[in-house]
Amino acid sequence: MKDLFPNRWWTLLWACCLLALAVLPFVANAYVVGIGLTVLMWIALTQSWCVLSKMTGYVSLGHVVFYGIGAYLVVVTWQEVPLPLAIVGAGLLAALVAALVGLPVLRVRGPYFVILTFGLAELVKYTITWIESASGMASRILFGAPDLPVIYFSMFALALLSVAMLTWVSSSRFGHGLRSLRENEEAAETLGVPVVRYKLIAFVLGAAIPGMVGAIMALRSTYFVVGQVFDPMISVTVIAMAILGGGDNARGPLLGVIFLSLLSELLWVNAPLLYLVILGAILMVFVLVVPNGLLGLFERKPVPVVERPPTDSAA
Amino acid sequence: MTVLDILLSGQLLFAALVTGSLYALIALGLNLVYGTMRMLNVAHGDVVMLGAYGAYWGFTLLDIPPLLAAPVVAGLGGLLGWALYRGIFQRMLSGGSGAGNNRLESNSLLLFFGLSIILQNATALVFTPNNRAYNYLDTVYHFGGVAMTGNRLAALLVAGTACIAVAVFLSRSVFGLATRAVIERREAAHIVGVDVDYVQRLSFILGFGSAALAGVLISMLGQFSPFSGFPFTIAGFIVIILGGLGNTMAGLLAALLLGVIETYGVALTSANMRSVLLYGAFVAALLLFPNGLFAGRAKSR
Amino acid sequence: MTLTKTNRRTAVGGIAATVLALASGGVLAQADKPLRIGFSMARTGMLANATPSQLNTYELWREQTNARGGMDVGGTRRKVEFVTYDDQSKPDQAVRIYEKLITDDKVDLLLAPWGTPFHIAIAPVLEKFKFPLVGNTAASVALRKVKPGYIWFPTSAIPDRIGQELVKMLKGENVKSVAVLSNVLPFTKEIKNFVEPELKKAGIEIKVSAEYPPDIADMTATLTQVKQANVDAVLALAYPGDSVLYAKQAKELGLNNPFQFIAIGPSDAFFAKAVGATSAEGVVTIAHWSPKAEWKGSQAFYDAYVKKFGEDPDYLNSALAWMSLEILETTVAKTGLDKAKMREMISSQTFDTINGKVKFEGVQNVITPTAFVQTQKGKLRIVWPASMATSKYEAKKGW
Repeated sequence: MKDLFPNRWWTLLWACCLLALAVLPFVANAYVVGIGLTVLMWIALTQSWCVLSKMTGYVSLGHVVFYGIGAYLVVVTWQEVPLPLAIVGAGLLAALVAALVGLPVLRVRGPYFVILTFGLAELVKYTITWIESASGMASRILFGAPDLPVIYFSMFALALLSVAMLTWVSSSRFGHGLRSLRENEEAAETLGVPVVRYKLIAFVLGAAIPGMVGAIMALRSTYFVVGQVFDPMISVTVIAMAILGGGDNARGPLLGVIFLSLLSELLWVNAPLLYLVILGAILMVFVLVVPNGLLGLFERKPVPVVERPPTDSAA
Repeated sequence: MTVLDILLSGQLLFAALVTGSLYALIALGLNLVYGTMRMLNVAHGDVVMLGAYGAYWGFTLLDIPPLLAAPVVAGLGGLLGWALYRGIFQRMLSGGSGAGNNRLESNSLLLFFGLSIILQNATALVFTPNNRAYNYLDTVYHFGGVAMTGNRLAALLVAGTACIAVAVFLSRSVFGLATRAVIERREAAHIVGVDVDYVQRLSFILGFGSAALAGVLISMLGQFSPFSGFPFTIAGFIVIILGGLGNTMAGLLAALLLGVIETYGVALTSANMRSVLLYGAFVAALLLFPNGLFAGRAKSR
Repeated sequence: MTLTKTNRRTAVGGIAATVLALASGGVLAQADKPLRIGFSMARTGMLANATPSQLNTYELWREQTNARGGMDVGGTRRKVEFVTYDDQSKPDQAVRIYEKLITDDKVDLLLAPWGTPFHIAIAPVLEKFKFPLVGNTAASVALRKVKPGYIWFPTSAIPDRIGQELVKMLKGENVKSVAVLSNVLPFTKEIKNFVEPELKKAGIEIKVSAEYPPDIADMTATLTQVKQANVDAVLALAYPGDSVLYAKQAKELGLNNPFQFIAIGPSDAFFAKAVGATSAEGVVTIAHWSPKAEWKGSQAFYDAYVKKFGEDPDYLNSALAWMSLEILETTVAKTGLDKAKMREMISSQTFDTINGKVKFEGVQNVITPTAFVQTQKGKLRIVWPASMATSKYEAKKGW
């Protein structure tokens, strides 16, 4: 818990956010609730991504694959299986897929892993595209999807779950094991950390929630086209939010999500033609100017002497 | 068409070579940047797109044939690379971003991603998001039963020549050797006196220049828009990963391999399977060879 | 240039200030007196290259309307102002945008976005807030499943009717064998699903039936098969993105089949520019409009579009967009902004548009027939059905 609430200011911040998000559907119009839903979605996606990628350093560029699998399951079982069952099933299916491919996939390291995960997401996307067109389906529409408040609170639950999961992992022995293998996998293994098992567990844990998120978001847009559900931009955005947030705990990514989603919304509404250019520029500026993320900005952590880059002393 | 017909088809061979040679050119630039700087340039395809626009405007506004404009556009691409290196990336690499390979990797991913967004959307803003295409060298020639549109043949020849030229450069010239040294072991190269900064700058210039050149060639073959760069980035990454990161020669081979899989694979199954085959082959290859198909060289950490 | 923590904070503060400034600027800019019409349009992303034909039409209309003193709202003229957002080619963004337009911006009227997925995605939103909208660039059999009442589709280019009419046309031209190539995107895939059974019923042999993904870069393999099959007609069910690729590679491989049909693409001026006039000549495509003397305003629309944008309008999308605007105009002039009355009028009236008469039964337009056009001497002419044709079909003489 110290991970998420290190002092009373953070506790206050999170309490306010929680309250605001909880009452939103009762006080605001559909548009604002939509923004809240988006924020909750990104929280769920980013926190679950961090369980593997931030903790172990295996940066996954294919997080959207679990999202898409979850969405597909809901679409395919629409009105044949009760919805809550389908959503839970979506999470289980995503976790199952992760468990099946995890062992060989996690043997690959570094940038190879990055592109491999991307390739995996694309492979699943195109396989489903092929299946859909082979079975004669042109597109799928979900008529009779639940209302916005239902969707909103389901996502709320998922976001809470993901934050809880990351907090738990981050402050547990399991999490420390993950961090150790991030710093030096061979050394960690020599020291007795069950590296292969830990990586796999992190991978599977991080897959379940995106599956359910995808399932719920399918209900939001009700028109399912494979290419748009398995959108690589989702994977990239998750990485952006986690890095912008910075830090090595559950707080950083939360900051990153809130910052980037609200900023995007603001820009998109007010500078509609320019906003992506501005967004890209802000991303670049951030990486160059604030390499430790937002968390690094707000927290003055003493940097160990060994790690301090030589240029600092010249400043 | 029977299977044998397909395998022996000259027409398909031509198509595979055209596709493969373009992939090779794109992969080359990507490999140079990654090899020397360990950064994944996800904006590479967008530079290709810019090159395509360069050729397009040259042809439609100034009546300059794309093949003539090619060196100029490539040069402009190189200039962009140089400017970006000096302005941004040089700083990133000289220790400003803190400890850890992982940090540099994710940060550079984000940095190039930001660049990609800017390039795509600024182009859309200035040139409108409309599809662009033009007609150039569209007479069809026939050699021994194989039909070749002039522009596809030209693309194959130019891309092939450029790749060979760079390959020769890397293996013969002093600068080429220095580049390979930096790719293989950066700190050691630095110690023996190689000007690492110079090599990095050169790689950036060559990388962006070759991307722009590829763009010129691609613009002759079909239509493009500000958002059509991404597929080329992806293709480029698949190729360099398959060949082993930093291994420029293997990258060229992997590119041709990819062109072959794409063309013949589609012919043997169906066009719908194209991406399934491509990504399937890619994922399978990486799972079996976690460091790329041609890994054999010592990989520097 | 190393940055200390203070400098970094200043930089971030500067960014935050800029963003806030932009935000407040947006808030202050909202005025109430002009007539505010909202819509979303894909300006970035995959579909951004297809939307200009519709956006341009909206702009042209606004210009002309304001030049007349504004739109007639139940007797009073009010100047038109657009409130528009970029949906980034994502249907779920379109959903959010229309929610915003209705509940946050509180616009007076709505116009449709581009494309079938977007129309279908926003239908539930329109129903929830009881806000009627005249659709335009949407065509799918799934449209009939949309509950009638808040959205209408004037197009006749619905895939099952396209399948039937196309086969009738082929039979009329004595076609005995075809090759069918289809992009797997919804609209073209639907056409394929309907056209193939019709072909079988009519006794026309399907020698090649292939599908391809939307991001295809090389069609050599498939087209070589088509060439070998030596068919009378090639039905390339393509989207604008691949239509150009098909034409160029058909030329390379010498596909000289006399009947060449490309589903979407040639109705846009871009196509001829991209493939060259000789290649574009003789290609048949889907559209049901053309400037015709008996269709009031059609020639005027054509001339005005060419004058303003320097190129032909898209014979399918631009025409549909204009038709939807005409229907909206006629309705609002009579009913004002009363949503219930608007709804009633749109569902029951027969409207005069640049494409002749339009009447809706349920969500569909029941008057305009499904039609095809062909590029003849650089101009698109309606060649089917005979009741509406402006010219006769001619076989294509190679690329």
